[in-house]
Amino acid sequence: MAVIEARGLGKSYGTRRAVDDLSFTVHPGSVTGFLGPNGSGKSTTMRLMLGLDRGEGRTTFDGRTFAELEQPMRHVGALLEAKPFHPTRQARHHLQMLAVANRIERRRVDEVLELVGLSAQAKGRPRKFSLGMGQRLGIAAALLGDPHTLILDEPSNGLDPQGITWLRQLLRHLAGEGRSVFVSSHLLQEMAQLADEVVVVGRGRLLTSGPVKDFVEHGGTAEVLLRTPDLGVLAPAIVAAGGTLTPDADGLQRVTGLDAARVGDLAHEHGARVHELSVRRATLEEAFLNATGLDEEYRGAITADRPAGETGGAR
Amino acid sequence: MTDALRYEITRLRTIRSTYWILGVAFGFQLLLTVLIAWNLPETGPLSGGDQTFAILVTVGATLGVAPLFIAYVIGLLGVFSMGHEYRHGMIRATLTALPSRLHVMLAKVLTTAVLSLVAALVCVGIALLSAVSFGVGLPSVGGLRDITVGTVLYTTLFSLSGLAFATLTRNQTAAVALLLLVPSLVEGLVKAVVLAIKASSGDPTSRGGIVDILKFLPYDAGGQMYTRVSLNDAFQVFGYKPFGAVGGGITMAVFVVVLLVLATAAFQRRDA
Ligand SMILES: Nc1ncnc2c1ncn2[C@@H]1O[C@H](COP(=O)(O)OP(=O)(O)OP(=O)(O)O)[C@@H](O)[C@H]1O
Ligand SMILES: [Mg+2]
Repeated sequence: MAVIEARGLGKSYGTRRAVDDLSFTVHPGSVTGFLGPNGSGKSTTMRLMLGLDRGEGRTTFDGRTFAELEQPMRHVGALLEAKPFHPTRQARHHLQMLAVANRIERRRVDEVLELVGLSAQAKGRPRKFSLGMGQRLGIAAALLGDPHTLILDEPSNGLDPQGITWLRQLLRHLAGEGRSVFVSSHLLQEMAQLADEVVVVGRGRLLTSGPVKDFVEHGGTAEVLLRTPDLGVLAPAIVAAGGTLTPDADGLQRVTGLDAARVGDLAHEHGARVHELSVRRATLEEAFLNATGLDEEYRGAITADRPAGETGGAR
Repeated sequence: MTDALRYEITRLRTIRSTYWILGVAFGFQLLLTVLIAWNLPETGPLSGGDQTFAILVTVGATLGVAPLFIAYVIGLLGVFSMGHEYRHGMIRATLTALPSRLHVMLAKVLTTAVLSLVAALVCVGIALLSAVSFGVGLPSVGGLRDITVGTVLYTTLFSLSGLAFATLTRNQTAAVALLLLVPSLVEGLVKAVVLAIKASSGDPTSRGGIVDILKFLPYDAGGQMYTRVSLNDAFQVFGYKPFGAVGGGITMAVFVVVLLVLATAAFQRRDA
């Protein structure tokens, strides 16, 4: 079971630095999420890891680079951004071709087609495939050699909700068997359920890496939501105790800096009535936006709707 | 290396273009040789023999007026060998299955060469069949050997140059255009300009000088492997003396090898 070690990865397109001195480690038995805004260099990093792009640095799989692996598909399965299929070559032929190059039994082709739910389309041609079917064929190719390491660039792209759930269970299962799974995605809720660890990049540089839990706890902001008719009494007490109050929609107050128990105790001490008291936990999405906010390269003209009262729209 | 070869062979077997390219080459070779054989006179110099058979095999290219048709069709196999990789992003799948780019390239050179060679041989066989069917006088053994070797080698080298163009340009359409235009248009233009300069010089019939460039036009030089009488003969009044079949073949082979070496170096160095 392989440890992936990426050291000093770098790549320039002309004068543009797409990936810059990027190092991280992916451990066996875990799913590592690879996060970053559009254009932050995730796909480029994955191509560098596989020796497809020429650049700086070195990635090893249990100490060996991809090019040094004998029959690499038996060690590392990859799904890349652009779909590499000849439009008129049958799905099963596509997989057979990859299989013969890696001495993988022909039987395995039918197995992976079955696994990804493409058995009925085995003789289908990718030209006629939907986005999700193409993606499934790509996943089948990645799994063909029963590899101990998977490198997947946005594998859930184009999958339907069932497909996404299936993929999550599959990747969790594979990691549970002790394999290393390195996967990029924009679906942060999905990633929060899937990943054990994260590697976060912005503008080609490493922003942070480590367990998802730590990342969310440090990067996100947990809040206490409070509704009280006695705000006049309770607000000064909360502020005095070190909390911060932000008015939210329809009379709801968002309290940060204190936990729910402390807010409840304060209300009791000051005789304030409480109509609602709840906790909103930090999310991966929040942690991600906080971590990458300053690095986001392609910001839309209209920033996401934020509840009224929040400090400004643009970050 | 054997893995790369198995990959290439499966690649060729599982794609339609392999079949239609061979189908077009064989089909038209049959059609055209039948047409010619049918119309050949029953007596006289064109009723049989080496010259007549050479015309039949090359569908007239041996006279130097038409290009060697089968080379242009079979040459597409060379272009598509690498062209498809870039056209459909297959190159990334290929290199994640076979990370040794040298092996991938060598396998493509080998399969392109062997398939083109065999396909050209079949085309010679088709010409022979037409000759026999229509009672055209058969060539001598030596004549048959010479025209076979010339046609087959030219077609194989032509195909390999297509592979090199596709690898260098990483663009199938550009490579097809180069393969169609360089031998005919580009070399034709060079010839016209060089001869015009020579003709307007003080001593147009002197030997050598600028016309020596023409000897090194690769496809033109290689064409001498199958040409018997040629328009080029007329240019000899300008002191132009081509290399002949062997020298011309070597010139073309050197050109193709240099192209392939450059292509392999670029393939090794560039992003997939
Ligand atoms: N072949 C290329 N030629 C030139 N520039 C490129 C090329 N590929 C990527 N880039 C640039 O490198 C940077 C990183 O791109 P990359 O595709 O790796 O980002 P990404 O993180 O995968 O983005 P996304 O989330 O949109 O998939 C971008 O600025 C992009 O414009
Ligand atoms: Mg990407």
